Amino acid sequence: MTVSPHHDRPSGYRVVPLLAEHDLGHYPEFRTFLARTFALDDEPFGPPGLLQVDDRVYEITFVGRSGRPFPDGAEIGALVPGLEPLDETEADRDLWAILGWLVDGVGGEWNSDALTTTGRIYRIPATEETS
Amino acid sequence: MPQNPVSRTIADLPADVAARYPYRSRFTTVNGRRMHYVDEGPPDAPTVLLLHGNPAWGYLRRDTVVPLLGAGHRVVVPDQIGFGLSEKPHDHRVHTLDNHTANIVALLDRLDLRGVLFVCHDWGGPTGLGALLTRPDRAAAVAVMSTWAWASPSSEFHHRVLPWRLMHAPLVGPYLLGTHAAMPGRGMYLSVVDRARYAEQAMGAYTAVLDDPDERALTWIWPRSIPLGLPSDTTTERFAWLEAGVRDLRLPATVIWGREDDVFTPDVFAAHWHEVWPHAEGTHLVTGRHFLQEDSGAAIGALLVEFADRTVGVRR
Repeated sequence: MTVSPHHDRPSGYRVVPLLAEHDLGHYPEFRTFLARTFALDDEPFGPPGLLQVDDRVYEITFVGRSGRPFPDGAEIGALVPGLEPLDETEADRDLWAILGWLVDGVGGEWNSDALTTTGRIYRIPATEETS
Repeated sequence: MPQNPVSRTIADLPADVAARYPYRSRFTTVNGRRMHYVDEGPPDAPTVLLLHGNPAWGYLRRDTVVPLLGAGHRVVVPDQIGFGLSEKPHDHRVHTLDNHTANIVALLDRLDLRGVLFVCHDWGGPTGLGALLTRPDRAAAVAVMSTWAWASPSSEFHHRVLPWRLMHAPLVGPYLLGTHAAMPGRGMYLSVVDRARYAEQAMGAYTAVLDDPDERALTWIWPRSIPLGLPSDTTTERFAWLEAGVRDLRLPATVIWGREDDVFTPDVFAAHWHEVWPHAEGTHLVTGRHFLQEDSGAAIGALLVEFADRTVGVRR
């Protein structure tokens, strides 16, 4: 399963909200990584970022708040065609892959091996399916 | 503020949960939010206020309440806003340490509690002790267990990336603790000694009141509120105020701890309470990890009865 930034937003898709983070700066390196990856310093209020997981696309919307560095928050949603239902199991697996991509991208003391171990400690289904 | 007519009560929970915590649900508002609490025993009896932390609710105290009521005490057990049967705001701005502390202050005022024995566990410590310092005239004694009230030293566990800091890291926290309810599920399970008993008698009571991912916000916001000496710390000043105030307290105090607590280890944290309060009784070690009330609720109740009888009085 590979995760990478994506550039072309497919048409005819709707957004299914999956995850919302109000405080990206709790560990500022997470905010720094996402700002760099999606060039938010150049265009902070452009279109949402896109992430491709295999052949599926996820949207990441960045949120600002008065008095806080941008982006303060982030919302991840699945792009789902038309009125088709979300494949919940697949979306959960993809979210887990996105989080692995995130922590590896942040780097330093954060890495996907530690994330996988944490997921196994807490019996996260996506971890168990890949173990 | 009107009470929500569809508020869930203890009687609405699964029958086995309600049977183990067979008390009348009461509601009040604190800082504009609906707070659920239990208030049992004679209204004019010495009062014991039992305060929980993350991600528990009053049910954690079910075995402790029994001996206290048997000894004639009034027992008040609130569910912190965001947990149990209290309102669970999705707005993260509600969930600051100051707001949660002010909720306990509001409860003390609403119920006009006086001569109170504060019993503080986990975040019930910083919130309850902050409330005590704000309303010192309402306090008569204090008991602490697996909690803290200082910015340093934090637990070595809380500094680790694996699993603690990663568990509530940006986006990871809302996924693990929100989407997958890691804290009331597996997290508590791993933090008791008798896991089989916990799984059979208790886990359902904690997961049943945190049904929806958006309602679990406090389960990752509170971990983020523990000061670690990082630039992102949000509570350092409040903890400095708290520690200074707590050090000046000369109320009767007792320290009760889980012998197997590997998060707030007794050799560091219980010992630190005795440095803060040289006059404190204990440490009374009981069987238990962080959620020691799950393994030793009745024994803790017996210790509190004996302590309360000598410090806040008893109505017989």
